[in-house]
Amino acid sequence: MNTPSTPGRILALLIAISSLSLAAAPQPDSDPAISFRNDILPILSKAGCNSGGCHGAMAGKGGFRLSLFGYNPKADHLAITREALGRRIESGQPGLSLVLTKPTATVAHKGGKRIEPGSPDYLTLAHWIAQGAPGPQAADPRVEELFISGPKETVNPGETIPLRVRARFSDGQERDVTAWSRFTSADETVALVDGSGSVSVIGPGEGAVTAWYSSRIVIARLSAPYPFTVPDAVYANAPRANFIDDLVLAQLKRLHLEPSPPADDTTFIRRSALDTIGRLPTPAEVEAFLSDDRPDRRARWIDGLLARTEFIDYWAYKWSDLLLVSGSRLRPDAVKSYYGWIRQRVADNTPWDEFVRQVITARGSSVDQGESNFYAIHQDPESMAENVSQAFLSLSINCARCHNHPLEKWTNDQYYQFANLFARVRAKGWGGDARNGDGRRTLYVEPEGDLIQPRTGKPQPPAPLDAPAIAAEDPRDRREILAQWLTSGDNRAFARAIVNRVWGNFMGVGLVEAVDDLRASNPASNEALLGALASHLIAHRFDLRDLIRLILASETYRRSGEVLPGNREDRRHYSRHFPRRLSAEVLSDAIADITAVPEKYGELLLNDGSTEKTSFYTNSTRALQLYDAAVQSYFLKTFGRNQREITCECERSNQPSLVQVLHLSNGRTINDKLAAPDSRVSTLLARHTDPAPLIREAWLLCLNRPPSSHELESFVSVYNDAGPDQRRLVTEDLFWSLLTSREFLFQH
Amino acid sequence: MISWLFTKPLWQGAAMFDFLAESPQDRARLCGRGASRREFLQIGSLAAIGLSLPQYLQAREAGRTRPGTDKRSCILIFNLGGPSHIDLWDMKPDAPSEIRGPFKPIRTRSDAFEVSELLPRHAEVANHFSLVRSCHHDGAAVHDAGWQMMQTGRRFTGGIHTPHAGSVVSHLLGRRTDLPPFVVLPQLMGRGGGNLPNGQAGGFLGKAHDPFALMADPSRPDFKVPDLLPPDLIGAHRLERQRKMRSIVEEAVASFEASEDARLMDENFHAAFRMMTSEQARSAFDLTKEPQAVRERYGMNRFGQCCLLARRLVESGVRFITINTFLTVFDEITWDIHGSKPFTSIEGMKDIVCPMYDQAYSALLEDLFQRGLLDDTLVAGLSEFGRTPKVNPAGGRDHWPGCFTCSFAGGGVQGGRVVGASDPIGGFPAERPVKPGDIVATIFHSLGLDHTSHLPGPGGRPFTLTDLGTEPIRELFA
Repeated sequence: MNTPSTPGRILALLIAISSLSLAAAPQPDSDPAISFRNDILPILSKAGCNSGGCHGAMAGKGGFRLSLFGYNPKADHLAITREALGRRIESGQPGLSLVLTKPTATVAHKGGKRIEPGSPDYLTLAHWIAQGAPGPQAADPRVEELFISGPKETVNPGETIPLRVRARFSDGQERDVTAWSRFTSADETVALVDGSGSVSVIGPGEGAVTAWYSSRIVIARLSAPYPFTVPDAVYANAPRANFIDDLVLAQLKRLHLEPSPPADDTTFIRRSALDTIGRLPTPAEVEAFLSDDRPDRRARWIDGLLARTEFIDYWAYKWSDLLLVSGSRLRPDAVKSYYGWIRQRVADNTPWDEFVRQVITARGSSVDQGESNFYAIHQDPESMAENVSQAFLSLSINCARCHNHPLEKWTNDQYYQFANLFARVRAKGWGGDARNGDGRRTLYVEPEGDLIQPRTGKPQPPAPLDAPAIAAEDPRDRREILAQWLTSGDNRAFARAIVNRVWGNFMGVGLVEAVDDLRASNPASNEALLGALASHLIAHRFDLRDLIRLILASETYRRSGEVLPGNREDRRHYSRHFPRRLSAEVLSDAIADITAVPEKYGELLLNDGSTEKTSFYTNSTRALQLYDAAVQSYFLKTFGRNQREITCECERSNQPSLVQVLHLSNGRTINDKLAAPDSRVSTLLARHTDPAPLIREAWLLCLNRPPSSHELESFVSVYNDAGPDQRRLVTEDLFWSLLTSREFLFQH
Repeated sequence: MISWLFTKPLWQGAAMFDFLAESPQDRARLCGRGASRREFLQIGSLAAIGLSLPQYLQAREAGRTRPGTDKRSCILIFNLGGPSHIDLWDMKPDAPSEIRGPFKPIRTRSDAFEVSELLPRHAEVANHFSLVRSCHHDGAAVHDAGWQMMQTGRRFTGGIHTPHAGSVVSHLLGRRTDLPPFVVLPQLMGRGGGNLPNGQAGGFLGKAHDPFALMADPSRPDFKVPDLLPPDLIGAHRLERQRKMRSIVEEAVASFEASEDARLMDENFHAAFRMMTSEQARSAFDLTKEPQAVRERYGMNRFGQCCLLARRLVESGVRFITINTFLTVFDEITWDIHGSKPFTSIEGMKDIVCPMYDQAYSALLEDLFQRGLLDDTLVAGLSEFGRTPKVNPAGGRDHWPGCFTCSFAGGGVQGGRVVGASDPIGGFPAERPVKPGDIVATIFHSLGLDHTSHLPGPGGRPFTLTDLGTEPIRELFA
């Protein structure tokens, strides 16, 4: 369709280009030699030639294939200079090279015009061809670090800020590489960025722009204040309990967000019990707290929560989500042993570094060494590496399995260095069928063996991410070295990952969102706070109970959900409490506790739709005590429990839906329990003849506060209107109305 | 008064029941002794006046809809797994054997195209549907990337989650009856292996525009919408009392209104109450009202009965229905014919997937046509990608977003046509390349919406319905 240019036109163009002085081309310093690795590939990356939608696709495009964003310089050089009978390069007449005529759309190019004829990039390519199109050299300087400059600490919506990116190379040279960097904005409600690195601030909040160059990245942060006027005294006078409050208030001040006042006592104890032990406080606990007038009663309450057995239930369940304890992956005995191991670690308050070290270096039988089941679920070195990284560093390295990570700094070489740490892990016995076999599997480590990197056909020297390699002949279990590196206090990524998970549990919103996505290109909303919490955890030897106590004691945690004009828009900076729906398990247990009718769990539902009986659970087993996520339950499924298929917090959903509301209103869970002959309704009716104390007790059970006088009067009048023969039904309706109210369904 | 109608949030339609209960004669009927659940439900259905018409008019006045499209609906069939265009809709009989594969084309009722011998019933209804053979996208060749792009028209970047086309319709046009405006059958898509959002959600328009997902298999003998009705022992009088008591408890939580989830929970209560009190809604989901012959014509399997249910929902005023042909690409025989386990073999496609799809799709078009509904019901058959031109060593084909075929019928689309063409091996578009944004713009166009109009994005930033540079495939229509 496009008429190809005539040779004459090309020639004319070539002459026009030749007439430009060579001196006009950017000469990298004094050395005129153009580097394929450091000059040519960045041009191709910036122009998008080697992107996933173009020649960087696995199958290439139009018969021409490049490695995604240049992760394989040798192969790219071969493709450009040798493939297609070498017709992509015309050394004698660079301007006739397909490498130039295609991207300039001088001849038909499905990708359109990517490079301007005569532009600096065009001339660099032309010079390189004229120099004989030399390939990548082992001695080429490599990029060691990127620097970015541009934004001041605070910016304002409407501002435009040009960014500059500089690279420092291994030979000590520094170059401005802005023109060849790719930019992305982490939050496009705060800032947009164009291809040249020009940032437009469009809204208030914390923004960040990532620049990528040669598989390195660097971040520019921007802070754009909200349009509110908050007197300094508000921050100065706000209550503070520990450094969390200092760092949160400092950020609120910078962003002009107003902190809400503290929540009242009943709200605090309900909230803290739900977040710490997954259970509502009982009426007796509420009364005891309210009548306690000692000044340290909150600290005592928090210590009490940390000592409860439900604390163990709740956190063992949480780490079972993380470690994918599931009857659809493991046989029953292995599930029991895996869960049992986790539970015992929580009960012992095993420091998190030790917990993780034991998982990573696990050996032995799946039914005696519960932690070894981590390697029954992840059976090849690649999945072991990916899941260790995701679970304990909140870092997804999966992209680098096939090519350099397109947005992050992780390369394919690093991926195979990391995965090679697991190359010697072997097992005997049960192979992994979820339905058959005894689940007995013995894990051991071979003294030799390596994982082959498909791209090179050779193993990469085993190394933790960003750490020196281990000698291939080193006979030690490589996982010991990995565990050492991972959990050492120097590896801040490890502490940051667990801190963000724990923080997210209590605050509803992680400092990094999603809570398990700690990419360099996904910065924290409050970096100072995340860093300080990580330091605190390292200093306190990875004691999670200590971290939890610190968070619970902060004034930030205690802040009310009251919406002020100066913080209505805030979704991430903790100026007020953000209400959230109770999780599936907590909600199910709360309904069972309040109605005094437990839920029964007796069957597993496997992935293929088949079911299997289980005898692990008794009539009083709570949802938070279930070992695994394959236990059949319409309620838990509908309310979004973590199905434990993949290591991802995204598997859990606390999002309200119409289906949930239909189930609460009409389903069996609430209605059947209320109507049961031995339910709470029966005991309350037997205890109280007057409606008022009955209403008060129901209110305390469900909402953990006494009813207001207006609420009490309204409900008493419902009883009076209905008459004595309706007492049972009115009481059921009373509980129905409380259990379907948002005040009950939400943590607030 | 008029402006009140126009600005009142939709779900407040549900409050009409309370309004009815407030008037003395209705109160008398409701509270009278022995008011049965049935009676309650019938009274409830009076509430089905709905406020959707004003919202629709508002949309039209705002220039958002085209005249003559008031009755339009869309059934989006999403073919999870990625059907093999070369084996089904875009055959290459003259290509070498490793490209053309084992199947042969057959003639159809359209002079413009042939289809695979695997789809004999498609051939009979070829006058009703048209094929777009030049679809492609530049996202990753993983399932969820395509799910996202093909249902929303965009790839998600910078934390911006574009809403599903059905969510956009929900936002702009609202509900038409007691049923939700946007329904997903039989349940939401599961995971696709790439860990990306699959686009089957309200995105930046908010969770209030998430679809209503059925969460049940309509081919099961005991099929019903879970928990649509209260237990038998709870009569009208008690339902009213429960709601009155609940409204007293709810007064205390004013601060929730800043929380999207809390607001949504409240809206869900109103929507649920409206559905459960509506005779129309209950009837729409009741497949036992269909003659057995009709049920069997669609096929007594999950996908077949979802197609039948989709037709009933269209008749009951649902604006947008997405049918997920499969739930995930794991643990199921799907379009994902890599040829080796744990994925589907080419025989699995031939013996299980194609017969099921052929039967239900042809039944749906025939049935809509015979009932006079086809002109106002767009049936879009989409997928996340096609499959590699070359048959792999396992005899299957792998993921291929470079070129694939989508089908369109009804809703103003003229049948029997082909738009675009692939190259001789089905590897890339040879003519008229069509992007995901063009596909979604085509859906909006059929429903009367202007794809260049704006949606309120995050932080108040306006977003066009589909990106600048995308266009509806107009050749399908005129």
